[in-house]
Amino acid sequence: MQKSIPLLMIVPSLLMAMAIIGYPILDLAWTSSQEVSRFGKLTGFAGWENFAEVFGDQLFWDSLWRTGIWTFFVVVGTLAVSLPVAIILNDDFYGRGLARVIIMLPWSVSLTMTAVVWRWALNGRAGLLNATLMDIGIIDQPVEWLATASTAFVVEILVGILVSIPFTTTILLGGLSAMPQDTYEAAMVDGASGWHQFRYITLPLMKPFINIAIVLNVIYVFNSLPIIWVMTEGGPANGTDILVTYLYKLAFRFGQLGKAAAISLIMFGVLLVFTLLYVALVSRGEEDAAPEDEKEA
Amino acid sequence: MTNPFRTSTAALALGLGMLASGAYAETVVDFTVAEYSSKTGPYFQKVADDFTAANPDIKINIEVVPWDTLLQRLTTDVAGGNAPDISIIGTRWLLDFASQGVAEPVDGYLTPEFKDSFIGTFMNPGIIDGKMMGLPVAASARAMMVNMDIYDKAGVAPPTTWDELYAASKKIAELPDVYAFGLQGKEIETDAYFYYNLWTHGGDILNADGTSGLDSEAAITSAKLYKQMIDEGLTQPSPTNYTREDVFNMFKQGQLATIFTFPMLIPQIKEEAPNLHYKILPFPEAGAKATYGVTDTLMMFSDSDVKEAAWKFIEFAYQDKYREEFDLGEGFLPVTKNVAALDHFTSDPDVAGFAAGLPYAKFAPVIANWEEIADVTVRTLQQIYLGDVTPEDGLKAAAAEINKIRGL
Amino acid sequence: MSRKLTRSLLYWLFLSPLVVVILFPFGVMFVTAIRPRDEIFTYPPTWGFSEFRWTNFSEMWVKTNFGGALMNSIYVSVLATAIALLLAIPAAYAMSRYRFAGKGLYRNFLLMTQMMSPIVLVLGLFRLMMAMGLVNDLNSLVVTYAAFNLAFTIWMLQSYFNSIPRDLEEAAWIDGASHLTSLVRIFLPLAVPAMVVAAIFTFINSWNEFVLALTLMRSSEDFTLPVQIYAQVAGRYQVEWHHVMAGTVLATVPVAIVFSWLQRYLIRGMALGAVK
Repeated sequence: MQKSIPLLMIVPSLLMAMAIIGYPILDLAWTSSQEVSRFGKLTGFAGWENFAEVFGDQLFWDSLWRTGIWTFFVVVGTLAVSLPVAIILNDDFYGRGLARVIIMLPWSVSLTMTAVVWRWALNGRAGLLNATLMDIGIIDQPVEWLATASTAFVVEILVGILVSIPFTTTILLGGLSAMPQDTYEAAMVDGASGWHQFRYITLPLMKPFINIAIVLNVIYVFNSLPIIWVMTEGGPANGTDILVTYLYKLAFRFGQLGKAAAISLIMFGVLLVFTLLYVALVSRGEEDAAPEDEKEA
Repeated sequence: MTNPFRTSTAALALGLGMLASGAYAETVVDFTVAEYSSKTGPYFQKVADDFTAANPDIKINIEVVPWDTLLQRLTTDVAGGNAPDISIIGTRWLLDFASQGVAEPVDGYLTPEFKDSFIGTFMNPGIIDGKMMGLPVAASARAMMVNMDIYDKAGVAPPTTWDELYAASKKIAELPDVYAFGLQGKEIETDAYFYYNLWTHGGDILNADGTSGLDSEAAITSAKLYKQMIDEGLTQPSPTNYTREDVFNMFKQGQLATIFTFPMLIPQIKEEAPNLHYKILPFPEAGAKATYGVTDTLMMFSDSDVKEAAWKFIEFAYQDKYREEFDLGEGFLPVTKNVAALDHFTSDPDVAGFAAGLPYAKFAPVIANWEEIADVTVRTLQQIYLGDVTPEDGLKAAAAEINKIRGL
Repeated sequence: MSRKLTRSLLYWLFLSPLVVVILFPFGVMFVTAIRPRDEIFTYPPTWGFSEFRWTNFSEMWVKTNFGGALMNSIYVSVLATAIALLLAIPAAYAMSRYRFAGKGLYRNFLLMTQMMSPIVLVLGLFRLMMAMGLVNDLNSLVVTYAAFNLAFTIWMLQSYFNSIPRDLEEAAWIDGASHLTSLVRIFLPLAVPAMVVAAIFTFINSWNEFVLALTLMRSSEDFTLPVQIYAQVAGRYQVEWHHVMAGTVLATVPVAIVFSWLQRYLIRGMALGAVK
């Protein structure tokens, strides 16, 4: 009886997740092995044909590569901004409440709408970004930010970072404010400099939070459609296509549902491998660190 | 914390629905409508209400879907086994629907009188393997629009050939604050903007044998011409960042001398830029006359259980008064003879300008995988406009890719 | 005191670029929403405009059926949040307080549910909702959002629960209280900050979700706000930018207000729930 209590408590959420998320995943796996008609009718077993088609497609490899760049830069950029911001917001200063609200603001707008607003702001002729930059004299001609893939992709990465900051900062801020105050005081007494304090106290204590932020951000950014879709639809010349935008086109424009299902599974596989590797790395790192702590103690 | 109001109305509606179904069997026709403008939804709702007033046993359930997501929605609907009974679709998708057995041929329902009320040109794209797979519901043709103030200022006459357009653009480019030619290079219909050029140079999307016509002499010449115009500053800068809407907006602002456009722009100009002194002319020529005829189709789904009722509604909605309101409201060209004969469509110079091209209008070929082929074309054009490939190399590769998609 | 002042100045100086970039799109939204329509495309573009056209908002409200979409969004988000919490609390409690077989497995399963983009699952979800008869029903969004947010909610609550000392409950047991009573009387009240945070997460995700709402909701009277606003942009022959921006502003303001109000809870909840 005692044993079944925790299971009983878990079952409702498990059932829910199984039904709503598990079933579509199975459906997807099944679809990927089938020949699929334009409108999703399964017309026969295809074996690995869908996967073979994906692997023979140059656009897939280009998109995969770009997905890597996109994910890496957005996640790293987000962390690089969020960490100092979280440290500042954790400290006591005038207007901290206001600053916190402002940093969280991007969260209050749906990603799709944020992308729509940016697309509008980046409009070469009527956009207010060019207007602002011209007013303060940084540029003297309007710049068509989204006209070439190279500038468009950079802009999209920057917007990606901007919208990921609130979530990441919140997690890090949570970690920071949970930090034992006495550790710092001890360090102050020892005369540790700001940098030392950060490097040897803050950072190690923050590790679990940073890791969570990395894992979740990688998952979310890797799968994120709206920013790129709304701003450039993966163009110009497929130069900003990442896997999820490419997949969306395949599935809902070209009607290649079998191939799209195969890509979905590949994406799932990539994320799974990444997460397993990362979690393994992190926990090994913790094991290595553990004996040292004991020594100090 | 749930919204009690909502729950109670839902329960109430459920109760009423049960009562109603007890009283008499109500037929519901699901009708998916593409949203052309903010007027579309209310218009169809009104037609549906009128219809139900006349036929109380049939209810029309209108679902308004934004164009950009229409194909996704219909794909999901059909794949999930929940297709509507009738829907507006782009005629370019019709073959995919028909070849998968999703579309219901309408020949059996179409009475000779009803059939005769349509303009033949617009019926043709809906015929697949000799069967009518749907009815034209909206149509437009494309034409050139010029800003006469700019042309007058530059002291040049509106062009009739590509050579004249080029020469005039050279002159106009010397004027401050305006660009000579608006070139679309982003998103939906980027390929169409090129086909206008291709067709008038005597080329075509597909050769007679069904292979891609993108590597033809005419195609290379037209692509080179656009590229040259970009390089010489005759277009607005960076066309790959300009959607159809962006280009049209610049024209409304009086910043472009020449654009290629559709009739739906006219109501917008009248409302937003009433002082714009514009003129509608045929596309410039270089050996051939052409315009692009675009139709949307009203399609019936073969899975529908209420085809009779749906058809009854279709016949009702095609009454002249409804068609007139629709075409006028959205700025389309009429697809039925009676509406086309109305004063507005015969005497208005703007509408006449667009309709003039209809005798030699080209339609998008009715072939499978059209969206994918268009995507290859758009990608290649963007590469050419950006200077990533030469027109020759790019178009040759694109033609090869399209032939592969076509299985040739 | 003056040290705090210099520190404050320094911090604000450091934050200012970010603050500018964050506020910029909000400025764009507002300035576009409020200006007369014919000043939207002026070239060169400017921040200034001739007059405040507040009627843009009322026009937009009527034209886009904003009120209806607002009610739908509230209904879906509130209910999804409630269900997610209701299912997550016992699960998180079990994960925090009991040892049992499959615990690690369940954690990993939850993580895996986060790895699928909803877009990828749209077709399967749609088939599922068909089978359950929930298409064209806001409740299909409610259950989907609840399910997609379960994982994060459970993690958050679990790590927070870990930080609540067991002694308190055990003391109650000794006093003769049943496990259930101690859970409801002693434990849950302590967990309120974490629940607030988890609720905010789920609420915001549901409020902003777009792809599923677009696919699962058939008729426009069931649209949620993001879909309703996006419908003004997507593929129309003409985009009414001032209405789009007015809609975005109005959809954003309630969430922003809730944020500034609950912001201290948010941080405190995260803080106490030290992920261990």
